[in-house]
Amino acid sequence: MLSDLSLRGRAFGAALADAVDAALVEAFGDLDDAGGVALVALGSYSRRELCPGSDIDVLLVHNLKGRRSVETVRAMTEQLWYPLWDAGFVTGHGARTIKESIALADEDLDALTALLDVRLLAGAGDLTDELERKARELANRRAARVLPALAKAVELRRQRPGAIAEMLEPDLKEGAGGLRDVQSLDWGGWALGLRGGRAALVERDFLTPADQARVESGRELLLDIRVALQRVTNAHSDRLALQEHDAVAAQLGLESADALVRDLANASRDIAWIAGDAWSRVTDSLDGGAKDAVADEVLARGVWLRHGRVHIEIEPDGSVPPLRTLEAACAAAENAVAFDRASLSALRATGAPTWDVWERAGFVRLLRSGADAVPVFEALDHEGVLARLLPEWGHVRSLPQRNAYHRFTVDRHLLEAVAQCARLLDAGEEHLPPGREPSVEAIVARACRRPELLLLGALLHDIAKGMPGDHSEIGEQTAEQVARRMGFDSEAREILPWLVRNHLLMAEVATRRDLSDASVADNVAAACAGDAERLRLLYLLTIGDSKATGPAAWNPSKAALVRDLFVKAATAIERGAAKVVAADRRETLRERLGPERADAFLGRLPEEYVLAFDVDTMGMHEELLADVPTVRCKRIAGGHVAVTVVAADRPGLLVTLAGALTVSGLDVTEAHLFGTTDGLALDVFHGADPFGRVADDDGARVARTIERALAGELDLAARVEERRRSYAPITKPAPPEVHVDVSSEESDTDTVVEVHTDDDVGLLFRLASAFTELDLDVRIAKVATLGTRVVDVFYVRDSDSAMIDDLAAVARLRALLVARITG
Amino acid sequence: MKLVVAIVKPFKVDDVKTAVQDFGVQGLTMTEVQGFGRQRGHTEVYRGAEYVIDFVPKVKLEILVDDADAPAVAEKIVAAARTGKIGDGKVWILPVDGVIRIRTGEAGSDAL
Repeated sequence: MLSDLSLRGRAFGAALADAVDAALVEAFGDLDDAGGVALVALGSYSRRELCPGSDIDVLLVHNLKGRRSVETVRAMTEQLWYPLWDAGFVTGHGARTIKESIALADEDLDALTALLDVRLLAGAGDLTDELERKARELANRRAARVLPALAKAVELRRQRPGAIAEMLEPDLKEGAGGLRDVQSLDWGGWALGLRGGRAALVERDFLTPADQARVESGRELLLDIRVALQRVTNAHSDRLALQEHDAVAAQLGLESADALVRDLANASRDIAWIAGDAWSRVTDSLDGGAKDAVADEVLARGVWLRHGRVHIEIEPDGSVPPLRTLEAACAAAENAVAFDRASLSALRATGAPTWDVWERAGFVRLLRSGADAVPVFEALDHEGVLARLLPEWGHVRSLPQRNAYHRFTVDRHLLEAVAQCARLLDAGEEHLPPGREPSVEAIVARACRRPELLLLGALLHDIAKGMPGDHSEIGEQTAEQVARRMGFDSEAREILPWLVRNHLLMAEVATRRDLSDASVADNVAAACAGDAERLRLLYLLTIGDSKATGPAAWNPSKAALVRDLFVKAATAIERGAAKVVAADRRETLRERLGPERADAFLGRLPEEYVLAFDVDTMGMHEELLADVPTVRCKRIAGGHVAVTVVAADRPGLLVTLAGALTVSGLDVTEAHLFGTTDGLALDVFHGADPFGRVADDDGARVARTIERALAGELDLAARVEERRRSYAPITKPAPPEVHVDVSSEESDTDTVVEVHTDDDVGLLFRLASAFTELDLDVRIAKVATLGTRVVDVFYVRDSDSAMIDDLAAVARLRALLVARITG
Repeated sequence: MKLVVAIVKPFKVDDVKTAVQDFGVQGLTMTEVQGFGRQRGHTEVYRGAEYVIDFVPKVKLEILVDDADAPAVAEKIVAAARTGKIGDGKVWILPVDGVIRIRTGEAGSDAL
C-alpha cells in the first residue's frame, strides 16, 4: 500500500482503514463470546483519514457487569490489540462501558471530541449508537464550556506551533490552518446542535457555504500532503521539514517545492482565516445580548460599528464605492474590530478605485494603522478586494520564501514590514517622560517629512520577488507604476521607486563594508542624492524590513552597524550641505567687507570657523581682531550671554578663560574656540547668567577678572572649587556616567578628544586644566550641553604640534580627564 | 584536532571565508556577537540624543581542523581579516578531544 503512489490523501487513508478494519473484524470474530461488546474506531481512524504513521485509535465498548467482567474484558482486549501491536501500529486503545466513557468525556475535552464521531467495526451496533448519541448530547449540553475551550485551542495553535502559512517547517496537524482547525469546526458544530458538524455552523450562519467548500478542499490538500510526507519520512511526524520539501513535492507530482509550499500556504491560510472568523462569531454569540443594547456608532459615511463589527452600506445596485471600502477598512483597523460577515462579502463588489485624493489618503491611513491593519488586509485579501486595490498583489500572494532567514511568505512579510514601519513612526510621535531619551530611530522617524512613502515603500519593497531577474530592479519599475496609478506627486514618484530599488543597500553596506572608511558613508550619501529625507526613509525601511523578516535578520549587532552607517551617512550629507552654507557665508562676507578684507580675515582662521557663526558675528569678529586683547559681552536669545574674547594665544589660555568665566558667574553651555594663523585666540562662550552679573556693565567686570587671571593675580583653581562647593546639591548625586573617546582617525592633523558627562560647575575649567597639565595644546574646542549632559570635543596636539599616537599617552590623558570630572 | 576560533570585523567575514575555503577547510560556523577589546565601546550623539555603544558588533568564526592545519588556518584568517586598524579582532586555537559527524557516525579526523 505504501509503494502504490496512486493511492493518495483520502484514498490512502480509506484503503489503510479498510485493511485495519479487516484485521480487527477477523480478530473480533475469533473472540469466544462477544455478547454485549462493540469494537469502535475513533479519531482519524474513525474518519478513515489514516496516514502511514497514524495512531490507530480503538475502543472496546461493553455493558458487562460484575467481578468477572474485568477478567473477560482484559482477555478480549489482549486478543484484539496484540495483532495490531505485532503489525507495528501504535495504538490508542481502551475498554470502557458507555457510562465510564461519558464520565471521562465530561472531564476531558479530548476524550469528548474523540467520541463525537465513532465508527462501528464489529459487535453490538446499538451500543455504538448509544455512545455516539450520548457523547453528542453531552457536547451540546456543555456548549458553554466546550465552545470557548475549542475557540481558545484554535487561538493557542496560532501562537504555538504557529500558522502553517507563516512557517518554514509547518505542523500539518496542529499548526494554525491545519487539520486540527478543520476538526475543531466539526466538533463545534456538535456542541451547537444535534444536526452537528460543519453543517450546524452553516445553518447558524457562522460559516458561509462558500467558506465550507474552501475548508473542505483545504482539508483534502492537507491530507494529501500529510500522507506523502509520512511516506517519504517513514515516520509519524506531521512537521513538513525543509529537507523533505523536494521529495514530498515530487511524490505529489508538483513541479517544485515552491509550488507545494505555495499551495499549502494558500489552503491553510484560507482555513485559518475561516476558522478564526467563525470562532470569533461563535464566541460573540455566546456573550451576545449585552452588546445589543449599544447603539450603532457611525465611523464614516456609510460605515458604522454595530455589535463590535464594522458594517457597510451597500448601494442599490449591490456595489460598494472604493472609498467606502477603504474607510471601512481604516475603521476596522483603527478600532481593531472585524467586519460583519455580510458586509465583508459585499466588499467583493467594490468598484475600481480612481485614486482621487480621498482614496489615496484612505489607503495611506490604512497602512498607518500598523499591526491592526494586518488582519484587515487578510480579510480584504480573502474576499479578493486587495487585488482590486493593488493588482500586483496577486503575484506575491502566498509566495513562499523557503530559507531559514525568512519567516513569512512574501505577501505576509510585506504586511509585517508595513506594521513594523508604522511602529517606528509611532515611536517618533511618542511623548517621553522626562529623563527618558528617545532612540535614534525615534528621532529619525520624527524628522520624516514623507512618512507615507516609508509605509508604501514597505508595502512594495519585495513586490517583484519570485520574478525573473533582480527583484529590487524590477520592483523599482512596479513601484513607479503603482505611484503613478495612485496619483502621487512627482517627489513621491521619484522616492518610492528609489526606496524599492535600494531597500537592501544599507543592510548590505553596514554588514559588508568597513564603516571606518569615510568613502563608504560618502557613497551611501551619494546614493541618497545628498537628500537627508531619502536617507531617513531608507534607514527606517531597513529596520522595518529586517524586523519583519525574522529573528535571524535583526539583532542588536546588526542594529548597531546599520545605525552607525546611518549616522555617518547623515553626517556626510550634512557636510555636503555645510559646504554650500560655508560658500554662501563666505560670499556674503566678501560683499560686506570687500573681497580682500574678507579673504584676509577668513584666511587667518580654520575652515570650521565659517560654519560656527553667521555673517553678522563674523563681521564683528573681524573688527575685534584688530584690537587685542578684548572682551565683549552681549545678551543673546534665551536669557543667555555670549562672551567673546580675543587674546594672544598661549599655553593654558583656555584654563584661564574658563576659570575666570566660572568665577564671574557664567555657566558655560556652549563654546567655540579658534586659533588664528598669527597666534591669536578667538574664543566665544555662551552660557546662562543666572544672577545677571556678566552682562550688566557690558562685561567690564568679566574683562577685569580675565585680565587679572591672565596676569596670574587670581588663584582660579581655589575660587572655582569654592564656587563648586557652594552650589553643590545637598544630596550627593550619583557619580556621573563618563565616556572619553580619544580618536586619531577623525582628523588628519589633530587628535580628537570627545568627553560625554553630566554638567557640573566649572567642568570646562577642570577639563582644560588636564590638557594644560599634560602640555597639550587645544587648537579647536566645541562645547555643547544637551539637557543635563555635556558633550565636549577638543582638537589637541602635543608640544611638538603632533598628534598623540602613543597608547600610553592616550591612557594617561583619558585617566586624567576622568579624574578631573569625578574628582 | 583543534578548534580555531576567530573574532573578526563583520565586513571581513567574506574575505576570511574565501581564504579558508581556498586552503581546503570544509565548513565553518559563524555567529554574530558583540564585545569589546582594547577598542572599547564609544558614545555617539545624533541630534542631541546620546547613545552608547558599549559592545562593538563582531563576528565569531569557529573552524574544526586537523592538528597540523591549525597554525596555517589561523594564519590565513589573520591575513584575511587584518585592516591594521584598532578592533581587527583575535584568533585563538583550542584542543578538541573528539568529533562525531551526526549523520554517518564518522569520528575523529574522518568527521572533519
